[in-house]
Amino acid sequence: MNHTKHPNGEGAPEETMQRRPSLWYQGRYFDFPLAGIILFIVCIGLVMVYSTSAYRGQELYNDSGYFVKRQIVFALVATVIMFLLSKVDYRIYMRYAKSILLIAMALLVLVYIIGTASHGSARWLYIGPFGFQPSEFAKLALIIYTAAVCTRKSKSLNKPGSLAKIMLLPVIAIVLIAIENLSTAIICFAIVMLVTFVASPKTWHFVVLALIGVAGCALFIALAGYRADRLRIWLAPEKYPDGYQTMQSLYAIGSGGLFGKGLGNSMQKMGFIPESHNDMIFSVICEELGVFGAICIILLFIALIYRCTVIAINSADRFGGLLTVGVMVHIAVQVLINISVVTNTIPPTGVPLPFISYGGSSIVFILLEMGIALSVSRQIKPGR
Amino acid sequence: MKLHSYNRKKAVFVCFCMILFSVFLMGRLVYLMICQAEHYSYLAEALHERERSIKAPRGKIYDRNGNILADNEAVCSISVIHSQITDEEQVISVLCEYLEKNEAEIRKKVEKNSVRETIATNVEKELADQIRELDIAGIKVDEDYKRYYPYGSLASKVLGFTGADNQGIVGIEVKYDSILAGTSGSIHTVTDAKGIEIADMAETRVEPVPGRNLVTSIDLNIQKYATQAALKVQEEKSANRVNIIIMNPQNGEIYAMVDVPEYDLNEPYQFNRDIDTTGLSEEEKMNLLNNMWRNFNINDTYEPGSTFKVVTSTAALETGAVSLQDTFFCPGYKIVEDRRIRCHKTTGHGSEDFLHALMNSCNPAFMEIGERVGAENMYATYKKLGLFEKTGVDLPGEANSIMHKLEDIGPVELATMSFGQSIQITPIQFITAAATVVNGGNKITPHIGIAVTDSNGDMVEKLSYPVSEQVISKETADTVRGMLESVVSEGSGSNAAIEGYRIGGKTATSEKLPRGTGKYISSFLGFAPADHPQVIALILIDEPVGVYYGGTIAAPVIRDIFSNILPYLGIEPEIAEDTQESE
Repeated sequence: MNHTKHPNGEGAPEETMQRRPSLWYQGRYFDFPLAGIILFIVCIGLVMVYSTSAYRGQELYNDSGYFVKRQIVFALVATVIMFLLSKVDYRIYMRYAKSILLIAMALLVLVYIIGTASHGSARWLYIGPFGFQPSEFAKLALIIYTAAVCTRKSKSLNKPGSLAKIMLLPVIAIVLIAIENLSTAIICFAIVMLVTFVASPKTWHFVVLALIGVAGCALFIALAGYRADRLRIWLAPEKYPDGYQTMQSLYAIGSGGLFGKGLGNSMQKMGFIPESHNDMIFSVICEELGVFGAICIILLFIALIYRCTVIAINSADRFGGLLTVGVMVHIAVQVLINISVVTNTIPPTGVPLPFISYGGSSIVFILLEMGIALSVSRQIKPGR
Repeated sequence: MKLHSYNRKKAVFVCFCMILFSVFLMGRLVYLMICQAEHYSYLAEALHERERSIKAPRGKIYDRNGNILADNEAVCSISVIHSQITDEEQVISVLCEYLEKNEAEIRKKVEKNSVRETIATNVEKELADQIRELDIAGIKVDEDYKRYYPYGSLASKVLGFTGADNQGIVGIEVKYDSILAGTSGSIHTVTDAKGIEIADMAETRVEPVPGRNLVTSIDLNIQKYATQAALKVQEEKSANRVNIIIMNPQNGEIYAMVDVPEYDLNEPYQFNRDIDTTGLSEEEKMNLLNNMWRNFNINDTYEPGSTFKVVTSTAALETGAVSLQDTFFCPGYKIVEDRRIRCHKTTGHGSEDFLHALMNSCNPAFMEIGERVGAENMYATYKKLGLFEKTGVDLPGEANSIMHKLEDIGPVELATMSFGQSIQITPIQFITAAATVVNGGNKITPHIGIAVTDSNGDMVEKLSYPVSEQVISKETADTVRGMLESVVSEGSGSNAAIEGYRIGGKTATSEKLPRGTGKYISSFLGFAPADHPQVIALILIDEPVGVYYGGTIAAPVIRDIFSNILPYLGIEPEIAEDTQESE
């Protein structure tokens, strides 16, 4: 029976040996719904990136397809990586979890030093022509590390003291991220918090911790000058010149109506919304596809989160489950923050919309995480 | 290690929270995109749309026979759009070269970061076309209209002119601005954030509504002839100014209104006489221009002098204070209180009846008449003839009369009022009062506008004006009219007589204030035919040099005008028939 699944004949004996030395694992199950949803959202993303960036591409590079071509390349590469990763036995990450996190932290420090030296943005590292954001990698590293540590030291989760000890490294990482990018830090905080929450048998600790976290954030926003500005913009974006982006986003959303202006017919992308193919892409989706299209996209994300949860609760082991919860939290929090910013539900902050926003670094790491979630799905024993 | 059941429950709980928040965001989207849609899409459209207005052609002004008195000429306006300029220096140099304007001024406008800046209006089409052909990015040439007056200075004080935005400034142009102006149209184009029009977006266009035309009661030929006559007498007598109003006394339609010197309507900011403007402030220049544009016929008052005896006679007959049979004695003066007021004939007219007192224009007799009528009755008649109120003529800035307060009128005031001194009225008030007397007692409203037509020339509205019928009795009116005919046929107005026509009239020579400067206003009021007047005319010659008697210098002008316009108006000579009948 195993032979039919592994025609090459190599996988069969290894599988019987507790799958330990194997990197590749086919599994009996594969979550096709999740893979389908991912590919569907990625395709919608490409269409929207073309729609939103054509004007800007034409203007800057005299090529309306400039941005979408790059994005297609990234999406293709990332999809291939995703399917390859889905076949990798995720348990090996547990072994290297700490190393991965340390590398991520090293990169965060490195990018900070380089960024400071060049007086530029301290968010990007360049390898040849390709830039990537260490903070994207840090998110993945934190998911793996938290899931690993919560699996390995599940007893410590009951004691606040030990909990603090094992969470020391993630907290340092989050602080490193927060220096340059508060919104990513918040996402990381949510990931670490919620994965630990799911892993722990306790509940009230986390309610207290969440309250402390929220209070800390509020304090930070109130104290840091430019964050307070954002609060002011959030409350009355029409009154301040720097509320421009928020107002433009609201104009776009408001002029969408029920079914939108039709794909490609957004007016707001004509230079009114700065970088409309980036963080603000959802407002153009609203304008072009209307409330109907916007809700369809949100429903797709809900389906994706739902499939992740299904994989998590059915996973073969704790690590796989927590890993998938981490991925699910990451996607969900980022989508919710993005849409909240675009609709001016929370103060403005720059978070890309997963799968859809333009940006190679973003889509590669998101699909990498989905590959991990899919690899967890392969370990599910059907009929459980 | 397997998952505990609490791990599963908590994972489901986290997922549930995320979905709950997503549902909340969907609700927020529905609120923004449906409930707030109108608000935001309105704001968004306002942001995307650029509006360019298309000027509406202004309505034309016609005379009563369909001749165009005010027309439109196609011109262009030139503006710059900052965001479309590629070469600022080229734009500036081209505009300077073609428009002959100050470079600093143009530079300021070109460099200003605004959506659209107007550089010049009323640019001749030929020149604008040359600029258009250069096809320089950022320069926009738009079609526009400029007011054009084919007859130059003719009826300038009546018609008035328009400003840079084609809005009426003075005269009929401002009075009927709402009718003539029309409604500007607009082109709405959709633009991107830089204000560049998006080519394939449909532009919405609101067509301009052309202004409606005004048909006036002015008769081009009568106006022309009256203007020539006025210019002639002005030159002959070296007069300061000559005013002529020619009106239909039956309905108040004004055929001609002349106030020479007139000014060129096509160049209204150029003085009509040589004035050295060097060293004058802008305000002083503006005052001079305002004075030039003034229409003395309605904007200023004067002492009417002896022509006003028409009103005194009417008051006398209307109140019954004097009858035609009453006789008066004129020794050449009359002592009123402590004053000795002279007659113009210092030797006196001797004994005379009422008719001859008027024919002789005898001041002592009229002082006597005024005394008999009394101030109150005199004012009652003034009121009936509309001398206390503006006539309601459809021209801007009409002045009102200056009268004594009733309680201030002593014997001297009453005496001087009786022959038209110590009170001031406007020429239009006087001719209106006189028309009321000669048309049989109906107070009419003098007016210029008679009908409004649309751009196709179809009648939209016939303008009507209030008429008060029989403000004085027909008997009184007919009697005074008969007496005035005698003034021309046998009395002081004989210079206005035209063979074959029955003309009525009254002369006046009033000394200007302050007295003793030797400055006079000579005037004559004439109407014809005397039995059923079709036309009434008033001439005022301001400060004639040399002979200044109204009967000598003013009456012949009216005779000259009447002898031309009466046949023109289709009024045939009739006395020839009478003589045939009597034979």
